[in-house]
Amino acid sequence: MSTGLHLETSPTMGDEVISNYTINFGPQHPAAHGVLRMVMELDGEIIERIDPHVGLLHRGTEKLIEHKTYLQALPYFDRLDYCSPLNMEHSYVLAIEKLLNLEVPLRGQYLRVLFAELSRICNHMLNIGSHVMDVGAMTPNLWVFELREDCLNFFERASGARMHSAWFRPGGVHQDVPLKLLTDIGDWCDTRLPELFGDAMSLVIDNRIFKQRNVDIALVSKDDAIAWGFSGPMIRAAGLPWDLRKSQPYDVYDRMEFDIPVGTNSDCYDRFMVRVKEVYESAKIIKQCLAQMPEGPVCSDDRKIVPPKRAEMKQSMEALIHHFKLYTEGFHVPAGEVYVATESPKGEFGVYLVSDGSNKPYRCKIRPTAFSHLQAMDFMSKGHMLPDATAILGAIDVVFGECDR
Amino acid sequence: MATVLHPAPKFASSEGVREALSAALGDSLVEAHEEHGELIFRVRREALEGALRTLRDDHAYQQLMEIAGADYPDRLDSDGGRFEVVYMLLSLTRNHRVMVKVRASEATPVPTATTLWPNAGWLEREVFDMYGVVFDGNTDLRRILTDYGFEGHPFRKDFPLTGYQELRYSQTERRVVYEPVELAQDLRQFDFMSPWEGADYVLPGDEKAAGTPTPPTVDKPRTTETPAQTGAGAKADAKAAKPSPARKSRTRAAGAPKPTESRPARAPRKGKSADTAAATEPAEAKKPTAPRKRTTKPKGDA
Repeated sequence: MSTGLHLETSPTMGDEVISNYTINFGPQHPAAHGVLRMVMELDGEIIERIDPHVGLLHRGTEKLIEHKTYLQALPYFDRLDYCSPLNMEHSYVLAIEKLLNLEVPLRGQYLRVLFAELSRICNHMLNIGSHVMDVGAMTPNLWVFELREDCLNFFERASGARMHSAWFRPGGVHQDVPLKLLTDIGDWCDTRLPELFGDAMSLVIDNRIFKQRNVDIALVSKDDAIAWGFSGPMIRAAGLPWDLRKSQPYDVYDRMEFDIPVGTNSDCYDRFMVRVKEVYESAKIIKQCLAQMPEGPVCSDDRKIVPPKRAEMKQSMEALIHHFKLYTEGFHVPAGEVYVATESPKGEFGVYLVSDGSNKPYRCKIRPTAFSHLQAMDFMSKGHMLPDATAILGAIDVVFGECDR
Repeated sequence: MATVLHPAPKFASSEGVREALSAALGDSLVEAHEEHGELIFRVRREALEGALRTLRDDHAYQQLMEIAGADYPDRLDSDGGRFEVVYMLLSLTRNHRVMVKVRASEATPVPTATTLWPNAGWLEREVFDMYGVVFDGNTDLRRILTDYGFEGHPFRKDFPLTGYQELRYSQTERRVVYEPVELAQDLRQFDFMSPWEGADYVLPGDEKAAGTPTPPTVDKPRTTETPAQTGAGAKADAKAAKPSPARKSRTRAAGAPKPTESRPARAPRKGKSADTAAATEPAEAKKPTAPRKRTTKPKGDA
């Protein structure tokens, strides 16, 4: 990496000295997907060096979590990656359950997998749409946003909130879903999703301009992908069939039949196509969840962890006491430390949770997916043209709520 | 370990891994334990790079997923290290995870891992930014998440949650200004530890009990032997039988109103003043207002 300005005399320009110049990409740039500032050193239109400055959206989430009880800290996770809020919650509740060694009823596990996959589709809709828009297409974005809207409506019907659901809870999920919602999700996966998504993708996948902007852009070898700590679609596009849902199954993923799409060329086009295929795989998982989901409780009945329902409180003094204690003091978690990582739509999203035996986490370190990927921005875009930076950034799928925490 | 009930991610079995890796790490290892299904190796700080290299090259932990800092001000190690730096390693081929830990203080730099994994750069920058742990050999140890020109290390336990500085856009100065934090209301921190479990604060009122002076010791205790010593007797009875002097009646200050009970009742209202119909119902004879005359012609017609 060169430091400072790189001066160079050109053989054709005589005594004229042409120096590289430095520009700011962002922090307010529509293709920066949030508040990313990249200091770019350009040689003409060729990128020589990129220094991404992150942290403009830093809110100190991890510090705030240390001052909240375990349950109060849960909604912070919705606000990390606000494109796939339920996947963020998933890592956190699993980390708590691992420390508590808490059993989750089967229906709760199925519902979590179902809605995690639905938010994966929701996330990919946003990313696919904005990626194609970054490289010049407008229509597919509008179409896939329709699907995203459908997903958000499903979340609203399950939890009451479109985005920040706080629906996954330690021990299961907060509420059961109405039967009509499940049938509607099934119908949606059969009809509307494949139709609309297929239409939108038919405009993009074989489009000459789209391919020119993405094929052979930001090639990353397998070794580099491993060394830079890539995960999710970024490592799968490099040809490694690595998916935590398959290799380290959590909840009921070990009962699901699905394939892991991998890339062959490890460029931006492959990353895009891996996500496109994953949408269909997620739909497959959703269908299996709907078919296999048993009846029963959706949340653990351990009353020292999971608060009772309101109806129960009207009848039982015991339930009232539990409710009061759980919503004021919260539950205590045995001392220890765990690192739990799940496959979020963007890659490995991990939570390192340290408990000192009290009702508040002692330390909660969040592993954002974007940190490794964005760090590789410099070597991925070296030698590419300036407009390629937006394609690379779009293919990374970066969201700053999660990156900056 | 107890039977696994939780649905958290299941990776390959750790059976025998602790022994194998402990042997491989040799004298760089301080301690190794398995808890909650996580394998944790604490290594000597100076030997960190070698230990990580052994794990990466000989034991197929190919990926560094995360470096987490943590602050334990109550748990200092022998050379005053209050911070812990935790490396999460992932093996793609063995499908296994381990954690490697070192202790450090502000003054004792941790060897960098950027020589092994390029993505350690930002992760170390984050630990440095949040805790002030220095990484020896990291050539680009700038702050990463906090603001440009930030001072202090915010994730330390002694750094207040609210911070020291706040910024706002000043309309008068037309720029963002930094000011010391001023809270309109105290941050609500509830303490749910019951006093029986050893709360580390004094309950309101308890401070009085702690400060009660012990009664002074006396040589000869005084006692009341006879009724006369109590002051009772005919003299006291006679004094009690006297009527107490009558209280002087108070005079009103000049201009003060009379007591309410002696004020005369208000005279009844005159007939029509209670009728409020005129205020609520519009007068019928009122002429409708004439429509306002247009002074200019509408422009669109031409």
